Amino acid sequence: MFFKPDILALFVGALLVSSMLLYADYFGVKILRHWDIRSGSELQLALERKTYLITTLMAYAFAFQAASLFLFICTADHLHVFFTGAMCAAGSLNVNPWGYPAAVFKVVNFLLAGMWLTLNYADNQGYDYPLVRQKYLFLLAITPMILAEAAVQGAYFLDLKPEVITSCCGTLFTSVAAKGFFSELAILPPLPTQIACFAGLAATLITGIFFYRQSKGGYLFSSISLLTFIISWLALFSFICLYIYELPTHHCPFCILHPEYHYIGYLFYLLLLGGGLAGLGVGLLMPFRKTTSLEKNLPAFQKRLTLISLFSYVLFAALATYEIVFSNLTLK
Amino acid sequence: MIELKDITKVFNAGRLNEVVAVAGVSLSLEAGQVTVFKGPSGSGKTTLLGLIGCMARPTAGRIMLGDREITSLPERFLTAIRRQTFGFIFQQFNLLKGITVLENIMLPAYPTGESYAALKARAMELLELFNLENKAAAPVEWLSGGETQRVAIARALINQPAIIIADEPTAHLDTRLSREFMEIMRQFRAAGKTVFIASHDPIVYDSDAVNRVVDMRDGQVIVSRAA
Repeated sequence: MFFKPDILALFVGALLVSSMLLYADYFGVKILRHWDIRSGSELQLALERKTYLITTLMAYAFAFQAASLFLFICTADHLHVFFTGAMCAAGSLNVNPWGYPAAVFKVVNFLLAGMWLTLNYADNQGYDYPLVRQKYLFLLAITPMILAEAAVQGAYFLDLKPEVITSCCGTLFTSVAAKGFFSELAILPPLPTQIACFAGLAATLITGIFFYRQSKGGYLFSSISLLTFIISWLALFSFICLYIYELPTHHCPFCILHPEYHYIGYLFYLLLLGGGLAGLGVGLLMPFRKTTSLEKNLPAFQKRLTLISLFSYVLFAALATYEIVFSNLTLK
Repeated sequence: MIELKDITKVFNAGRLNEVVAVAGVSLSLEAGQVTVFKGPSGSGKTTLLGLIGCMARPTAGRIMLGDREITSLPERFLTAIRRQTFGFIFQQFNLLKGITVLENIMLPAYPTGESYAALKARAMELLELFNLENKAAAPVEWLSGGETQRVAIARALINQPAIIIADEPTAHLDTRLSREFMEIMRQFRAAGKTVFIASHDPIVYDSDAVNRVVDMRDGQVIVSRAA
């Protein structure tokens, strides 16, 4: 293991989030078993006081969890100087079997943590803890994923050996050489992916505007938004990257994080994750629109999420179009 | 209007210095009346007023304010209720030294976001009501005992609350000022406001401005009777 500040921050952060989550789960089981808002018992009042504290702490923990995705990518990218053969995070993550699974866990858990934060925010809008049970059930459900991430990320950092000679993006994410699940996902044929990506973005825009104006079709918008998130993610590696690098065969998802590309990758990832998460949040909250204490505030919150999602996707599309139009590369 | 259901408040629960301040109190308190909680020190009357005014949460039990249950409310909802529903008059009056009478009165209304001009106009109306308009720009440390008391009452009224809560308001006042205070409470009652006072001062609980007296001892209600 390398004792670098960013590695230690991620390592200790994951341990803290995991321990807090386990305690919140323990408390969540109590909530699920004993919660009765109509009761004025000492236990019920204690649960009401404590849930406020615990969810506030968990909100900060999950905010860190979400932000740690970017710290992880940045750390992996900076680590490449320690490994022979590595030129970016693609090589650093490839030095042991835990790197890429850890990155995937980070992305998935970003979305899960974000969904929990959305649920928690919505619950806080009601005066009678309307989503308290759902919130803790969700917490219990995502616990294995967060713990698995902590374990896999920990294994990745502990298993970093500087003598390892690794392959980098030139081998892993180049059309002519790509092998393996992640590599093959990254080099889908550009033209169909391009059509699917822009069609998905257009569909998200149309359903989003419809939901925003009519307050109908929330599930449809959410589903299309999720689909667009996945397609756009693949599109970024499949063809957008090519225009950024101005190389027809280079699909690396990490080189775009480098200063020579103006760190544009971070913005692409942020927009995609923001769009996907906000869109998912709309669908997540749909079942609770009729809850008495939420019916006033929840539709407005969903509209805000819709706007965030649409804004993120539109900006993503604009940025991708800019890169395509002003690139010296032509794919024909 | 306010219903207390089996309210218990324990401080330092589970420790050697555990104190049961209020023990299983159930009461129905009418709106538009002056109610006095009477009892010796340590009888739980101040704690009970604090619970009614959402200043603290009970350890067990529920409080209904109208048709709304308030003990389970998260803090941000309680803050709004405290601000909009209750006006507090404290034993020491707790005016802030170093700022003027007018600023002291306006202070509890600042978080509401109301325009400064509207607030100032309302504060000046209150000062006129209590014949203090010429003291508006004076620092509070220049005021006499009676003036301090009236400024504290004006401050409690700035957010136009439906309920006034006064904790031992006459503890530091002479007989004349205490009677004056009760006269103001009578006017509040006539204006339709609900008043809760914690006091062991006979001038307060024997006043004909009072509708109801709740006798307390050891955290329990001994008797609740019409005055």
